[in-house]
Amino acid sequence: MRRIGKAWACALVVAALFAMGASAQAKWTIGMSQCNLGEPWRVQMNADIKGEADKHPEIKMVFKDAQNDTLIQRSHVEEFISAKVNLIIISPKEAQPLAEPVSKAMAAGIPVIVLDRDIIGENYTQFIGADNKKIGKAVGEWLVRKYGGKGATIVELMGLQTSTPGQDRHNGFIEAIRGSDLKVIFQADCKWLEPDARKEMESALARYKRIDVVYGHNDPSAHGAFLAAQSVGREKGMAFVGIDSLPHEGIAYVKQGILTATFQYPTGGDVAVVEALKVLGGQKVAKRIVLGSRIFTADNVAAGGEPLK
Amino acid sequence: MLKTLRKALSSSAGRAALEFLLVLALGMAFNADGAFFKLGTHRDTLRQASVYGILACGMTMVVITGGIDLSVGSILGVSAVSFSILTMHMDWPWPAAVLACVLLGAALGGVSGGLVARAKLQPFIATLAMQYFARGLAKYITGGKKISTYVTAKSGEVVIKELPSIFKDIDSRILWGNLSIVSVIFFVCIAVAWVFLARHKWGRELYSVGGNEEAARLSGVPVRMTKFLAYAFAGIMCAVAGIAQAAQETQGDPEAGKDYEVIAIAMVVIGGTSLSGGRGSMGLTLLGILTIGYLQKILSINAVPEAWRLMVTGVIVVLAVLTQRRRAK
Repeated sequence: MRRIGKAWACALVVAALFAMGASAQAKWTIGMSQCNLGEPWRVQMNADIKGEADKHPEIKMVFKDAQNDTLIQRSHVEEFISAKVNLIIISPKEAQPLAEPVSKAMAAGIPVIVLDRDIIGENYTQFIGADNKKIGKAVGEWLVRKYGGKGATIVELMGLQTSTPGQDRHNGFIEAIRGSDLKVIFQADCKWLEPDARKEMESALARYKRIDVVYGHNDPSAHGAFLAAQSVGREKGMAFVGIDSLPHEGIAYVKQGILTATFQYPTGGDVAVVEALKVLGGQKVAKRIVLGSRIFTADNVAAGGEPLK
Repeated sequence: MLKTLRKALSSSAGRAALEFLLVLALGMAFNADGAFFKLGTHRDTLRQASVYGILACGMTMVVITGGIDLSVGSILGVSAVSFSILTMHMDWPWPAAVLACVLLGAALGGVSGGLVARAKLQPFIATLAMQYFARGLAKYITGGKKISTYVTAKSGEVVIKELPSIFKDIDSRILWGNLSIVSVIFFVCIAVAWVFLARHKWGRELYSVGGNEEAARLSGVPVRMTKFLAYAFAGIMCAVAGIAQAAQETQGDPEAGKDYEVIAIAMVVIGGTSLSGGRGSMGLTLLGILTIGYLQKILSINAVPEAWRLMVTGVIVVLAVLTQRRRAK
């Protein structure tokens, strides 16, 4: 028992030393709570935040990963409050359960920037995010411009349909192609997973002789579909379109000629740091920032894509 | 006629075969405008079941000892990313990379085996811990990112490297395009596991340990070693499955294999191998693999919505296990 007590004491001393060493130089500490680092897109968000923050020696970032657990993320906010950070950036897992801890932080005088997913109520400093429905709609409109009049059959490989991004990317798309001669002939919930997308695409290929377009709700799904089509020699003349445009995924696939186009879903990580500095400097910031999106195709990928109107 | 049927159904193998035939009949009834009758559909079904099937080979060994291995999906992930890093980024020749992955898989499986056999941890706990650890390891190795041919050079410039030919080779097909290499790898795994289980001394020891550990010990079976080897073998199967997974994805995903252990366990159990140990065979597992594999494919070609897929799969798993239990006592 005494030995265990000693071990605890040692651990406490070490932790205290770490804490002291950490708060040595920077003027401001920003706490960042990420809901799930299991997703490459969120890894990219943290990388974008870090990339921008490294340019500013006056701030120090503290990153936390909630591993897709709402209650862990809740305790992140509480930990940041008791550590008296100067600002909190949170990319919340869920809208409802995180509203309360965020408003507690606001009450404690700590500004909060909400990134990507919104929370219920308006009790935060700023929301930064992109609009999935708009991007889904942009995909549809782009395809209508490309295929309208000629007609096209579409396979839709959907993101998790119990999640808002999955629903929005579907609804926006359907809205855009309604009334045109583009038709969705096969759709499946691939839950954002590439192996699932490949399997579903194989089924679609077995069932339909003519497939013109594959719309993947994320780039890995479109990539998986490409591999399925390629293995039966049917990828030529088929258009593969995805969303997200991560540098190591969608953009790389466009460069390799695998995807026809990818629509960016920006992380907003860099924007969040810039806005955080404004807040810390005492400037007034907009309540909501809706991030613009870009499209990358073979023609413009070298030039960094084109902004969507 | 009725008598032969009854006789056939009195064995686990007969019942497992019946389940498989019923699922095939389901496919013929719901054939998605004839898609079910195309050769390509069956080739793809077999290929899609292969990775799960390879995991199920190792799982069968562990389950026969009365254990369970929850870490197979995570070790698959470690293997997939390791294989991708070694071949894509470090330009290792593929046989060396395969060997390294197999050793790593055996080591991780061996740790679970050691914890179960020597430290007497319950298999559920030991392999659950390994599930967490190995998933963490896969994320640590990769920094949370997928390993692809898109690499950042030392100069900071981003270059697209050529996909190592082994990836294309594993994902190619033989017999005039009618059999995937991934499926061939799966058959080899089944064959190796069958030889061990049905023809080797170790196989007999696995059954005796699973049937009655105390009796096995008293009759001179090296109980610890037998158990340890079962988990190490499962680890090797995970490594092989990981390589097959990476080749099919043309990348190493640190999340690869998530929840695959559940499917592997379902395949083993549906075949009729008992979770309480001591009973089962590779042939039964093969039927279980085909049953689940075909069920997934039939649901997919008919574009059945996700909610229905989950419910149908749940009902069929329960029915299959109930069938297996009827006269198994």
